[in-house]
Amino acid sequence: MTTGTIGLLYGTATLLVMFAGMPIAFALGAVATVFMIVFMPASSVDTITQNVYEEMASITLLSIPLFILKGSAIGRSRAGQDLYGALHAWMHRIPGGLGIANVFACALFAAMAGSSPATCSAIGSAGIPEMRKRGYSGGFAAGIIAAGGTLGILLPPSITMILYAVAAEQSLGRLFLAAIGPALLLVVLFAGYTGWRFRVEYRAAVAAHKRTGVMSELLRPDELTLRDRFELLPRVLPFVILLTGVMIALYGGFATPSETAGLGAVLALMLIASIYGVWKARDLAPILTATLRESTMLMLIIGMSLLYSYVMSYLHISQSTAEWIVSLQLSRWVLLTAILVMVVVLGFFLPPVSIILMTAPIILPPLKAAHFDLIWFGVIMTIVMELGLIHPPVGLNIFVIKSIAPDIPLRDVIWGVMPFVGLMIFAVIILCIFPEIATWLATAVMG
Amino acid sequence: MVHTLDAVETLPAPTVVAGGWVGRTLASINYAIVLLSSIALVIASFVLTYSVASRYFLHFSTDWQDELSVFLIVGAVFMSSASIQERRGHVAIEAIVGLLPARVNHVRQIMVDSASFVFCAFFAWKSWLLLAEAWTENFHSDSTWAPPLWIPYSLMTVGMTLLSLQLLMQIVLALAPRRRPE
Repeated sequence: MTTGTIGLLYGTATLLVMFAGMPIAFALGAVATVFMIVFMPASSVDTITQNVYEEMASITLLSIPLFILKGSAIGRSRAGQDLYGALHAWMHRIPGGLGIANVFACALFAAMAGSSPATCSAIGSAGIPEMRKRGYSGGFAAGIIAAGGTLGILLPPSITMILYAVAAEQSLGRLFLAAIGPALLLVVLFAGYTGWRFRVEYRAAVAAHKRTGVMSELLRPDELTLRDRFELLPRVLPFVILLTGVMIALYGGFATPSETAGLGAVLALMLIASIYGVWKARDLAPILTATLRESTMLMLIIGMSLLYSYVMSYLHISQSTAEWIVSLQLSRWVLLTAILVMVVVLGFFLPPVSIILMTAPIILPPLKAAHFDLIWFGVIMTIVMELGLIHPPVGLNIFVIKSIAPDIPLRDVIWGVMPFVGLMIFAVIILCIFPEIATWLATAVMG
Repeated sequence: MVHTLDAVETLPAPTVVAGGWVGRTLASINYAIVLLSSIALVIASFVLTYSVASRYFLHFSTDWQDELSVFLIVGAVFMSSASIQERRGHVAIEAIVGLLPARVNHVRQIMVDSASFVFCAFFAWKSWLLLAEAWTENFHSDSTWAPPLWIPYSLMTVGMTLLSLQLLMQIVLALAPRRRPE
């Protein structure tokens, strides 16, 4: 049987068991095991468990549960609401300041928690009701939070980035640094659009007021005193210090990524204990069990995905497919576009974790042959996967928003999100034209 | 109000444990394991924090903390996988679930669970063989600390065995004739 036929069988079998509804981790492991039994020497089947253990026992990968613990601790405290409240108090005089404060709060929280749904949930639960109370349309408010939340998988410590670093054998520190410029670009684009859209809604409210005499809440000025502005700072500053401290530990050469994850988790637990009094067993139990569930689910997918990739590589499926793609001699931008469209389509069905680990052995060699910087591509791929988090019909963040603001019709949420999808595609194009936005900081810091 | 963060949390906790005494025993074991695994995660965080602190404040470095953290976290992951399965928290593509009639979907679920069970049981069996080999051959890791490898292998083995049992129980319960209200 040729490698091509085996590859086709491998892909078809994977799609069949996955679409039958078998949990992704077991589906990948089962398909890999069957192909090992049929096409590989018996000795390799005997080492299957050792393979999975050794792949999972990577100290870089094991920083993932600890980053999840840090995010869960911060996500389940009132830190999100306080962060949002403080930013609102300081930005309320800017037109659209409330919406822009939500974008900034999402970015800061995402950097602390490292999770998109957690960011949407934590900032959106306070931000969406407040924006709607102040006259923002439901779709606009939902769009801001859904899009802001996606920054969770781009800003360090992004779990998606950790996996990409492992799969592409790239420096994690360099990848984290490369994500900062594009993340700031997205924040600026989101904030700029929010300010513009606010003006549109404001003008419509003024016209409606003149026409009907009904005054929208959008037209009422915010009344926040200097005391209001300073009141929330003591609660927020420690978390911002935690965020910067963790970054300094990582980039100052004081700690490895896994040590940074452990240190971040301990500091987050200490902060929520001292600031919010979350220290009793009954308070900590939901944080720890949620961490454990998310970590176990993710780590099993990672372990089995790595086994799946190992089989693909042993049977020369990934090499042959990569060689075939190279032999097509596509223009580098056509190649990039085709790969990114594939990532978007896969994102309809698979979590980013699986997309990265399953596709990396196939797509990275052609990209390397086309002289693309793999660190830069890691950032682009992550933004495209972010897009999948808010792109209808299956964007996870859309459903998180629906769960925290069920009275906003799904149609409004989707229309509210679409301009941000456009902004993200625009950001990808800008990054293709100016790749330095991603690479300059990493080069400046790490050489 | 605290909102949930992951899909697993959105599933209702099983209030009534099905499966008689076997189900109750498995549920109790899963509960105890989740508790111990949670503690293991926190210990791993402290171990890594100690690693940084000892290097920069006490000016000595140790060689055991990375490996101990790996053991704790890998152990926690494998051991709690049955508990996640108890709530059907292992993420799957459910695109066709809503399109199928209830009876067909029931058959599909049994088939999917059976395939998952066969794989997990095979993995558990291979883990037992690896554990036996590590024990008899006295395998150690190749680091300077060199802890015995039967420790993490045993956690993987027990975890995958419990996961297989959990799946088997879910299949048996799905096959059992349903009681109708009288």
